[in-house]
Amino acid sequence: MSSINLTLKIWRQANSDALGGLETYSLDGIHTDMSFLEMLDVLNEKLTKEGKDPVAFDHDCREGICGMCGAVVNGIAHGPEKETTLCQLHMRHFKTGDTLVIEPFRSRAFPVRKDLLVDRSALDRIIQAGGYVSVNTGGAPDANGLPIASQRAELAMDAAACIGCGACVASCPNGAAMLFTSAKISQLALLPQGQVERKQRALAMVAQMDVEGFGNCTNARECEAVCPKGISIRNIARLNREYLTAVLSEG
Amino acid sequence: MWFVRFLTSSIGKKLVMASSGLLLFLFLCTHAAGNATIFMSSKVFQSYADELHSHPLIVLVFSLSLLVIFLVHIGVGLYLFNENRAVSTSRYAVSTRVVKNSLASQTMPYTGLFILLFLVVHIFGFTFSPKTVPISVTVKELLGNFFYALFYIVAFAALFLHLSHGFWSMLQTFGVNHPRYNEFIARLTLVFPLFFFAIFAGIAFYFMTGLGANY
Repeated sequence: MSSINLTLKIWRQANSDALGGLETYSLDGIHTDMSFLEMLDVLNEKLTKEGKDPVAFDHDCREGICGMCGAVVNGIAHGPEKETTLCQLHMRHFKTGDTLVIEPFRSRAFPVRKDLLVDRSALDRIIQAGGYVSVNTGGAPDANGLPIASQRAELAMDAAACIGCGACVASCPNGAAMLFTSAKISQLALLPQGQVERKQRALAMVAQMDVEGFGNCTNARECEAVCPKGISIRNIARLNREYLTAVLSEG
Repeated sequence: MWFVRFLTSSIGKKLVMASSGLLLFLFLCTHAAGNATIFMSSKVFQSYADELHSHPLIVLVFSLSLLVIFLVHIGVGLYLFNENRAVSTSRYAVSTRVVKNSLASQTMPYTGLFILLFLVVHIFGFTFSPKTVPISVTVKELLGNFFYALFYIVAFAALFLHLSHGFWSMLQTFGVNHPRYNEFIARLTLVFPLFFFAIFAGIAFYFMTGLGANY
């Protein structure tokens, strides 16, 4: 097992109101089989032993499916590997002597709570604004009771792969949440179960997105490039259509 | 009201940019077709211009509509530029663009503003040129000047860059994005701007080099 030595420049900020700044740490003997978060764990252990405040960062499943982790590494959300969350990024992609600048996901709608930890509840509120889906309750429906073309089901599934990590917002030059919102809208708009509230949902979610202070989409495509789940901007095109249809015919 | 809600929403503003952009694109098509007659001869171009201006009402209605479309495109564009700048400036100590060839998308407001500058020069040079001088003579005189023509060519290069993001971006905003057509749209996004560049910059080059002076 080989190991590498790194210089880390990490954003440290005591709380939402404090002024933050980059602090430099050197970290030696990092095993290349470690994940990025494990590398931060090693740093935190070292800081704790030195009696210093460990670096706060979000994480949960550490297997790339929960959407909790995420930081901007050398200017790229979730680091340099394509379609990889920060927890699934391994240190073998770095070499000894590298300097890594680690910053929190930034957006006007994502206040920094501490260090690399940001409040992404604005994304939750967009989902909440989407409201409910009308479905019949009762016994489990027949497996093929609702016919859905397999291609549609696949597209809906592709959109539903969004884990809501916020990398799209962090990487967008305008801090827009269009890729996230479009994925959430698409997964329901493509399926028969999502038809009843379809228009209402598009209007409410876009309105909430604007209220939260996310920016405007300028089709820079950065979101799609960094998305750990490979969500395509085809979903954004679908959202644009959904919104236009809804605004012209609803209410 | 639904219309106000539409116009003030982020997607609504994008749709206004895309629709006005589409109308400006269509205007460019007609303008390029008309101006290309100058390659046949100044006489043909002059007769086209005379024919066009023998219908003053059409010219007036089209000019005024064009002015409104331009004002909307520029106004909303600047508004969005300002709104986005507030969000995007100095967010990260290190910022890396992952998307290759993002020059056009990054410079949209700047190429747009340069085209606006060109537009002012162009309108004062040609639209408000003295009515006593035939337009074909004005073309020869103004574009015969090396720096004037060079400015035109640079402006058309800016237009090329602007459209090489704008055309695709417009379709994306209208919701046109399908794997079957994306390759085709990507080609069109290169072909259309190149076409306009060839015609418009071609005219400037034609007179800058003196090639068109005798025809």
